Amino acid sequence: MIRFEKVFLRYDTGISLRNLNFSIERGEFLYLYGDSGSGKSSILKMIYMDLFPNAGSVNVLDFDSSHIKRGDIAKIRQKIGMVFQNFYLLSDRDIFSNIALPLELKGIKADEVRRRVTLKADELGIRSRLSHFPHELSAGEQQRVALARSVVDSPEILLADEPIAHLDLTAAAEVVKYLWKINESGTTVIFATHNEKLLKNDPARTLSIVSGEVVKDRAV
Amino acid sequence: MKLSYIIREGIIGIKRSRMPFMISVFSVTIALLVVGLGVMAVDNGLQFIGEFQADYDLEIFVGNEATSNQKHNLAAIIKDYPGIIRMDYLSKEDAAALYNAEFGEDVLSLLDDNPLPSSFRITFEEDYRTAAYIQKFMQNMNALGGVDEVIFKKDLFNRVQGIMQFVYTFATVTLFIIILATVFLTANNLRLMILARYEFIETVRLLGASDFMVKAPFFLEGGILGFLGASLSVLLIAAAEYAIKYYVHIDLPVKILDHPEVILGLILFGVSLSSLGVLKAVRKMLRFVA
Repeated sequence: MIRFEKVFLRYDTGISLRNLNFSIERGEFLYLYGDSGSGKSSILKMIYMDLFPNAGSVNVLDFDSSHIKRGDIAKIRQKIGMVFQNFYLLSDRDIFSNIALPLELKGIKADEVRRRVTLKADELGIRSRLSHFPHELSAGEQQRVALARSVVDSPEILLADEPIAHLDLTAAAEVVKYLWKINESGTTVIFATHNEKLLKNDPARTLSIVSGEVVKDRAV
Repeated sequence: MKLSYIIREGIIGIKRSRMPFMISVFSVTIALLVVGLGVMAVDNGLQFIGEFQADYDLEIFVGNEATSNQKHNLAAIIKDYPGIIRMDYLSKEDAAALYNAEFGEDVLSLLDDNPLPSSFRITFEEDYRTAAYIQKFMQNMNALGGVDEVIFKKDLFNRVQGIMQFVYTFATVTLFIIILATVFLTANNLRLMILARYEFIETVRLLGASDFMVKAPFFLEGGILGFLGASLSVLLIAAAEYAIKYYVHIDLPVKILDHPEVILGLILFGVSLSSLGVLKAVRKMLRFVA
């Protein structure tokens, strides 16, 4: 499903990824573990084709980074759900519209959009917040909205970049629980984190990244 | 339907960024107001200068001794001459009536006989209206039998033509500069409007929107913006013309509402300027959004 082959990435600032070689299979739950600046986000960005390697190739859902067209990037992203540390919620529209956006971009009918958004909002306990705006919600609630948006279209892959970094323990636990639930339904989940405790509490295959290199690929 | 998304997002986009949208509409209005007023001023100016020109370009006086046959011949030759758009025959009686109308005296009461000659009044097509062509025509006419005199007020003609040419050239250059400035200022304004929507563009790209799906609502928004701006400018120009008529008591010969082609031109210019300006700004932004 996802394959990194001899991937090298250099930034102007000097931070880089070195010789990444790994595969992620359909339905896996994988932690990308490493300190800030280790290269976790860069790996995620390469998966959703926001960054391209200087050498080597990244293959995602049968699209290869070395000869992908701009139009195909949109196609890949339609199959990937993303949750970011800073949520990426649109501040000028309500929660319903934020969650509905991926469906509307695909041209799904309004009734179906309403059904799916309500279902996800129920699952994540934010139904009462659908008519609110992002700034009216707590960080935990905003992260649940971002999570609802990322899974509303049943993606094949879910990328979560430090999704619990700004959350209290209870909110963080709820998010992690939900990610596992999504994974159980067949979605491949890639969870970037620097939280070592998390790896012990909810063990899964873990790629440990140090200074842009995979130093350990540990299965459960 | 993706189309419904595009239309809805285009309209919602306007609602959500009401202030930048209004500012952009206002800037398009001002820009097109300047362009529209310029066009109307030039049209009116040319019309005003043109009034100094006679209703006809040249008059051929027929000798009193010319036979009816010669007159018919002359009329036929003139009629077939290339570049002539209009020919009016004034009989001796018409000339006397004209004299009477202009000077308030009956020429027949002053003299026993009507001394005024009959004549042909000639108007040339715009493309043929040059002093050289008209003089050539005069030479040809003078050579014909029955012609007494051909009168062409060359100095006045040349002067008016020269002024009109100058006004036309000056106005064209000025309008071109104004249009360039308009395009530049409007594009800049639209770029700022789009810059304020960076968050939206970045987010929808991450959610899998294709470039088309990102651009289309903005394109629509730009079209609406341009249409509103242009329509407003037409209304303001019409209001200005109305104000000139009722407060300055000058009834302009050329009015915008009598010229749907100018209105259509301004609206098309406004719509294309704004929609393409917006499109260009979004395209530029997409270069920075992966």
